[in-house]
Amino acid sequence: MNPLVIEIAGLEKHFGKQAVLKGLDWQIPAGKVVGLLGRNGAGKSTLMECMLGLREADAGASHLFGEPAHSLGDASRARIGYVPQQADLFEWLTPRQLLDYFRAFYPRWNTEKVEGLFSRWQIDRDKAISTLSGGQKQRLAIIRALAHDPELLILDEPVASLDPVGRRDFLHELIDGVIERNTTVLFSTHILSDLERIAMEVAFLKEGRITLQTSLDELLETTRRVSGPSEVLLQIAPAERISVPQTMQGGGSVLARLSPERLAQIRTVPALSVEPVSLEDLFVEVTQ
Amino acid sequence: MPPSSLTLFSVSPGSPEPLYRQLMDQIRRLVAGGQLAPGDDLPSVRDLAQSLTLNPMTVSKAYGLLEMEGVLQRRRGLGMQVAGAQGKPALDVAARLELLRPILERAALEARQLELDSNFVLELFQQIFEEKT
Repeated sequence: MNPLVIEIAGLEKHFGKQAVLKGLDWQIPAGKVVGLLGRNGAGKSTLMECMLGLREADAGASHLFGEPAHSLGDASRARIGYVPQQADLFEWLTPRQLLDYFRAFYPRWNTEKVEGLFSRWQIDRDKAISTLSGGQKQRLAIIRALAHDPELLILDEPVASLDPVGRRDFLHELIDGVIERNTTVLFSTHILSDLERIAMEVAFLKEGRITLQTSLDELLETTRRVSGPSEVLLQIAPAERISVPQTMQGGGSVLARLSPERLAQIRTVPALSVEPVSLEDLFVEVTQ
Repeated sequence: MPPSSLTLFSVSPGSPEPLYRQLMDQIRRLVAGGQLAPGDDLPSVRDLAQSLTLNPMTVSKAYGLLEMEGVLQRRRGLGMQVAGAQGKPALDVAARLELLRPILERAALEARQLELDSNFVLELFQQIFEEKT
């Protein structure tokens, strides 16, 4: 087993009376590429901020590279790249000035990569950041996060304001410059096709906890929508169910993770019909 | 292998079929259809991952499983290529079926001469086929 890069235990966070994280446990080993899925407002950004020690949690702990996130040393900090959902860049600086500023904080800095990305992604290095478009700012935030070749990359909706070409450019950079280096990557996105292309694992955040974390291939291969009369659906054990059953006239359907043996068994029940599901179907039903 | 061969491949996210499986099926079809012949090189994992915008691990997984199936073979230092004739049969199903045609045509002729309904003949063939395998 690879060493754990992220280790979260019992994380809790409230905003006023509303509990967002409810004793969340989560572990991510080195070298994994994990997609974090959840509805709007599920707490994905809060989770990432608490995980990184940027936001104080009410209870529980997050360790990055074995160190408590809230008191991370400079050496560990330099191993992490983070792209927040809303990039807080210094708007009065130019991209060149911004990166020169950040460069001072990192022992390692990949100038060649930075220059290459600036050219390929067509960002004017000498224009005030305040005059850049939303997409250009997001690209700049990504360049900033990749510039020191981090070992852990955390991306909060990194492509939300990029057009399809920008998204494709970003994915190519992830594939060639990041995943190839065995970087641990955690990203949230609502663009499931991108997630499918990049993530080997998915985690679902729901009701303040990680409710499901598994290999994406395995999830698609084992999950089936089983439909039939309600009383026959009871044959699907609670432990196999991953969604709240949907009721229809005279019956219902539920998503279930079934071993090959169980799948063969369920297929022999004449009253039940079984169909494979896409990641989008999974997202809709698992997060409900 | 010329770089244009990268255009042979495609995957579509959003389907219930995992991407590595889509890629495996596609390579199997290309081999069966003759677009990829025994001895042909496959694109490197990196080139194909980049061209399809996929995690390289997905491409290696597909290649690795096809190697286990005997569809592809790994050549030391040269990457993956389509397995040769000494491994799995190089002919696709259609071509192999074609080899069977003469004897089936003769059987069909004799069945018609005996005024047998094709359903009975097919049932008998099925029985014989399953007995022998």
